[in-house]
Amino acid sequence: MTDMTSDTPHVHGTLLQADARTRKRNAAETRFKFYGILAIAVGLLMLVILLFNIVSRGTGAFTQTFVTLDVALVEDKLDKSGNRNIEEMKKVSTFGYAPLLKAAMTDMVEKTGMEGQISAADMAGILSKGAPAQLRDYVLANPDKVGQQVSFNFLASSRVDGYMKGRVSRESIANDKSISAEQLDFVDKLIEQGILKKKFNLSFITGADASDARPEAAGMGVAMLGSFFMMLVVLVLALPIGVAASIYLEEFAPKNWITDIIEVNISNLAAVPSIVFGILGLAVFINYMHLPTSAPLVGGLVLTLMTLPTIIISTRASLKAVPPSIRDAALGVGASKMQSVFHHVLPLAAPGILTGTIIGLAQALGETAPLLLIGMVGFIASNPPDGIASGLLAPNSAMPAQIYEWAKRADPAFYERAWGGIIILLVFLLAMNTIAVILRRRFERRW
Amino acid sequence: MKDLMAERTVDTQKLKISARNVQVYYGDTHAIKDVNVDIEDKTVTAFIGPSGCGKSTFLRCINRMNDTIDVCRVQGDIMIDGEDIYDKRVDPVQLRAKVGMVFQKPNPFPKSIYDNVAYGPRIHGLAKNKADLDDIVERALRRGAIWNEVKDRLDAPGTGLSGGQQQRLCIARAVATEPEVLLMDEPCSALDPIATAQVEELIDELRQNYSVVIVTHSMQQAARVSQKTAFFHLGNLVEYGETGTIFTNPTDPRTESYITGRIG
Repeated sequence: MTDMTSDTPHVHGTLLQADARTRKRNAAETRFKFYGILAIAVGLLMLVILLFNIVSRGTGAFTQTFVTLDVALVEDKLDKSGNRNIEEMKKVSTFGYAPLLKAAMTDMVEKTGMEGQISAADMAGILSKGAPAQLRDYVLANPDKVGQQVSFNFLASSRVDGYMKGRVSRESIANDKSISAEQLDFVDKLIEQGILKKKFNLSFITGADASDARPEAAGMGVAMLGSFFMMLVVLVLALPIGVAASIYLEEFAPKNWITDIIEVNISNLAAVPSIVFGILGLAVFINYMHLPTSAPLVGGLVLTLMTLPTIIISTRASLKAVPPSIRDAALGVGASKMQSVFHHVLPLAAPGILTGTIIGLAQALGETAPLLLIGMVGFIASNPPDGIASGLLAPNSAMPAQIYEWAKRADPAFYERAWGGIIILLVFLLAMNTIAVILRRRFERRW
Repeated sequence: MKDLMAERTVDTQKLKISARNVQVYYGDTHAIKDVNVDIEDKTVTAFIGPSGCGKSTFLRCINRMNDTIDVCRVQGDIMIDGEDIYDKRVDPVQLRAKVGMVFQKPNPFPKSIYDNVAYGPRIHGLAKNKADLDDIVERALRRGAIWNEVKDRLDAPGTGLSGGQQQRLCIARAVATEPEVLLMDEPCSALDPIATAQVEELIDELRQNYSVVIVTHSMQQAARVSQKTAFFHLGNLVEYGETGTIFTNPTDPRTESYITGRIG
């Protein structure tokens, strides 16, 4: 083969044995395949490690330790006049409910035969600092229960919860003033009695954020609502603007240097770091237009700017993928350009457009950096309508921002909730991507 | 062959399309050079010539489909019924309703057979009501010689038909808007011989109502279906005349070379 200089015809050797050159080529191919498999294996390994970490650290956030207590709702303390007037009952602050809890704890200790083993203050430390408030909320919602004995599930304090989950041990509490070895002994007995239990905690998914003092009560619900409002704004703005821009650029615009520049810039915009959009939002929407800070409307506007290039690029790609013969067919029977686009091209491109939109939304849902700049990290400690996280203009937080906030706090109990929040966020992203795949499968038409 | 040609000789007919000094440029490329041609009504006119000779380009000038190509420029006059179709006042959309087109590759819309045919009448407002539209669709499908095959499955997707059926559906779709001229750009090049025969038979029937202009690669096809033939070569209209004359007694040596298979 290599012998090109001689005029005699080349004689090939036996085919039953590969020659050196062929062997070398085959070896190179085998090596390349091996590298490819290695690369995929490394990627998969990383994914498995990531998922394992998230699941093992985050699932704890979905369960919480509860203490079951029977509380006597004493009328003398809660409603002195006895006429169940809500306004009057509201005058009793959470502080006024603490003695009832104390009495219930003492009662429980007596019943289980553990008198003298624990002081009253230590007993109170077992419960979350939010327990009196929970009691008060219940009484104000059900004033007719005053005077009766009611059974409650109170959240245990985050240290007790950590002890149940293995985060807190007898060694680790040596320098911890929030919990003592005596309290842990008591907790062990409560577990034996079945009074203290770990249960699924719905309020982590639906609840509001909580202060540093009671991580056990913090939830993602309000941040989810904030993210929902933002996605609504993004969808309502980015989809029509993006699709209209793409249709114009792809189908109507003349091909000249102006459209070339626009095209290049849209591609570049897709690569602009999100924090740049954040500071742009801060400068334009908040400082110049004076829209409220921390509002989902502003967050949505910023994320719209970020999502637009993604939607435009994917929409243009799906418009391009529609065969020109369909356009010819429509024009050939006398359809106008707009009719051919809206009657024939757009329906065929719809699955691609939807997929691009959902991918863009999912990207926006997970975006944190621009939200930090426009203050979408509000600390909202109560659920709407009670709280303020109730609309497009009310201060709110967003899921990734909430996760960031929790990860920032010192208490390891919040750290666990940050991982739990990531699980919720990933479930949302996974769901959106699944919807995108299903839509594409469903509406994809072959021609 | 000669006897067949003799039967097909046609009387002098009304002039439908007349092109004068038509030049077409794609950017810097001069694709059509000074073409003059008169196309008669209720006649099948075939454009033949080797690949890239400009016959499709010229065909697409007749219903201004070239307008959709940015770099394409057309000069000269093309008159249909004495009206210049490149006049500023002419809306190409209206023109294309009058001059229907069938493309090389069957391109039914990915919709039902019924909707494929009904689309044109719908956007042009040809039907007053549903029954009217049903009539138009049936008439068009009958003219497309496909009614008997699809009458029981009008709701089935047009893309599910065989290639030949798809092409006849496309012809029915073009006919449904009641055009006066029907342009066909190599309508049989994607079809097998049996489907080709069906479409050719159909073209001969269509001649009774329309002026048909067909671009074809196959000289046999041109000989079979057309009364007039134009031979294009390198952007020039080399020879135009009665099909019989072109195929048996061409005047230009290039035509003769092409027909006898020496070039092309």
